[in-house]
Amino acid sequence: MKLSLSLLALSCAMGGTAMAADRTLTISVYSFAQDEYKKALYDPFEEICGCDIVVETGNSVERMAKIEANAANPVIDMAVISTQDALSLARKGLIAPLDAASLPNMAKLYDSAKDPNGDGMSVGYTYYASSIVYRSDLVQVDSWGDLLGPDLAGQVALPNITGTQGPLTLMMLGKAMGETGGLAPVISAVGEKADDIVTFYSRSSELVQLMNQQEVIAAPVGRFAWSSFADAPLPFAWAEPAEGQAGGMNVMVMTKGNGNEELAYQFMDYWLSTEVQTRIAEMLVDSPANKEVVVSDEIAANLTYGADVINALNILPAADVVDNREAWVEQWNTEVIR
Amino acid sequence: MFRNTREGLALVLPAAIFSTLLFLVPVGILLSEAFRPSGSWSLAGYAEFFSEPLNRTVFLRTLKLGLLVAGTAAVIGYAAAFCIVNLGPKSRGRVFGMVVLPLMISPVARTYAWIVILGRTGIVNGAITGLGLSDTPVRLLFTETAVFLGLLQLFLPLMIISLVSAMENIPRDVIPAARVLGASWLAVFFKVILPLTREGLVIGGTLVFTGALTAYITPAILGGSKVLMLETLLYQKVNVSNDFVSASVIAMILIVMSFSANLLLKRIATARS
Repeated sequence: MKLSLSLLALSCAMGGTAMAADRTLTISVYSFAQDEYKKALYDPFEEICGCDIVVETGNSVERMAKIEANAANPVIDMAVISTQDALSLARKGLIAPLDAASLPNMAKLYDSAKDPNGDGMSVGYTYYASSIVYRSDLVQVDSWGDLLGPDLAGQVALPNITGTQGPLTLMMLGKAMGETGGLAPVISAVGEKADDIVTFYSRSSELVQLMNQQEVIAAPVGRFAWSSFADAPLPFAWAEPAEGQAGGMNVMVMTKGNGNEELAYQFMDYWLSTEVQTRIAEMLVDSPANKEVVVSDEIAANLTYGADVINALNILPAADVVDNREAWVEQWNTEVIR
Repeated sequence: MFRNTREGLALVLPAAIFSTLLFLVPVGILLSEAFRPSGSWSLAGYAEFFSEPLNRTVFLRTLKLGLLVAGTAAVIGYAAAFCIVNLGPKSRGRVFGMVVLPLMISPVARTYAWIVILGRTGIVNGAITGLGLSDTPVRLLFTETAVFLGLLQLFLPLMIISLVSAMENIPRDVIPAARVLGASWLAVFFKVILPLTREGLVIGGTLVFTGALTAYITPAILGGSKVLMLETLLYQKVNVSNDFVSASVIAMILIVMSFSANLLLKRIATARS
């Protein structure tokens, strides 16, 4: 491992691409699990490239705003965001098309991760499933429709529509209701049951707290938050609803005209490598998008792992969200929040 | 005090520069966004904000809860302050200390305590189900009642402190004198105590009302997204929808509400004196 790293470093040096010690790469990432990323990704990469990585974190809105504000002279070289945010940035002309030839490890990804938005502007590096977490000692959840059923009335929380999980939940509720006419009728159905819903949460950490305080006994959530529930003293279970699990992907993007493309590609490719994706998966941080990653059954059970699981995910196209979000939020505010 | 105004000005200059550069200018720039949503100056941002039913609901709810909290704090505050000023010096210090104590505890901790009390497994619900008043726990959290209680508890000490200092300045004999002359307690309150403590009521009222309007943590934790207040809505506009125009509109509304409350209360206080 150490040898391969030093060999890589050596080959970089001989290729004449690296070694300028003052080279820096500025990345914009989600703020969670930074210690793990440092160990699995940043530190080894700095050794390979002989460069410094500057990590910027924050919530998606802040990070997007920063990329937009510095469009003329980008301070961020690459960012990891949701597929919807990537599409928004692409439509605003703030990110550059990705050159597949500069990302050899892209070939190892699941097909749906290679170009999630179909515009060649992003590449998926992790998948997440979304399902319902519930108190197995109090209730049994077999369908997304159970969220609005009588057993959970007054004891269920839903994600707010403004987050990533909100539209996913509505999509799956629609599936359970046999609704094919988009999310509008589903929002109305949630509105009719609004009094039965304890609250609409914005962050998964909020939900972890609500469930531990026993304010709610079931709620939809992304698999990335599962470890917080698995470690809790209360008996929480992950539902396998009849309609399947919802899912999404986080992607990497390259800001337009940042002048640091070569280093950014090198970093992105390293992140997509089997070696790094395995390390990050073993730390239970991100589920791999690289199909060559092999992990133990125990690790796999805590991730969104394997072709069968990933190919079965119900993914909401980013364009649907970006095109309709404003209308959804308006209807949600009128009929659900009131 | 100063030999000339120049000396006075020189002394005040550093503070003035500091607050102008680091407070007034950035706040001014931020707030001006609300008046030029599309580049040119207009009130369109405000019209748009108030055209949405949810925003109107949130505005009215914030105003209502602010008034309710300030009103209730005044009623409880007068009773408490009256008791405190009539205590002996030793117990007065002790009770006053107990009133001030919550102010030294973080609002986050104080608000979380309400979750323990109002939650499904909390004390109140334990009593309700224990006494057989209801089979299932009653929903208390994420309601306006919870936000009201949280805000009241948060800001009541400010009202009590203001009223205690005002009442301490009432001459010792005026209340007994009024009573001896046959005034009922109600008349004593409205004709003697209230006029003599108006200043304290104005200060306490302004502090509590503006505090209730601008508190974020308490409505966020006890109300959540189902009981949005202007502050929690503002947070959503900035951090969820990146809508700085609406956020500036809300900030401006909050500032106007706070200043109006203060002016109105001052006017009431000076109306008959």
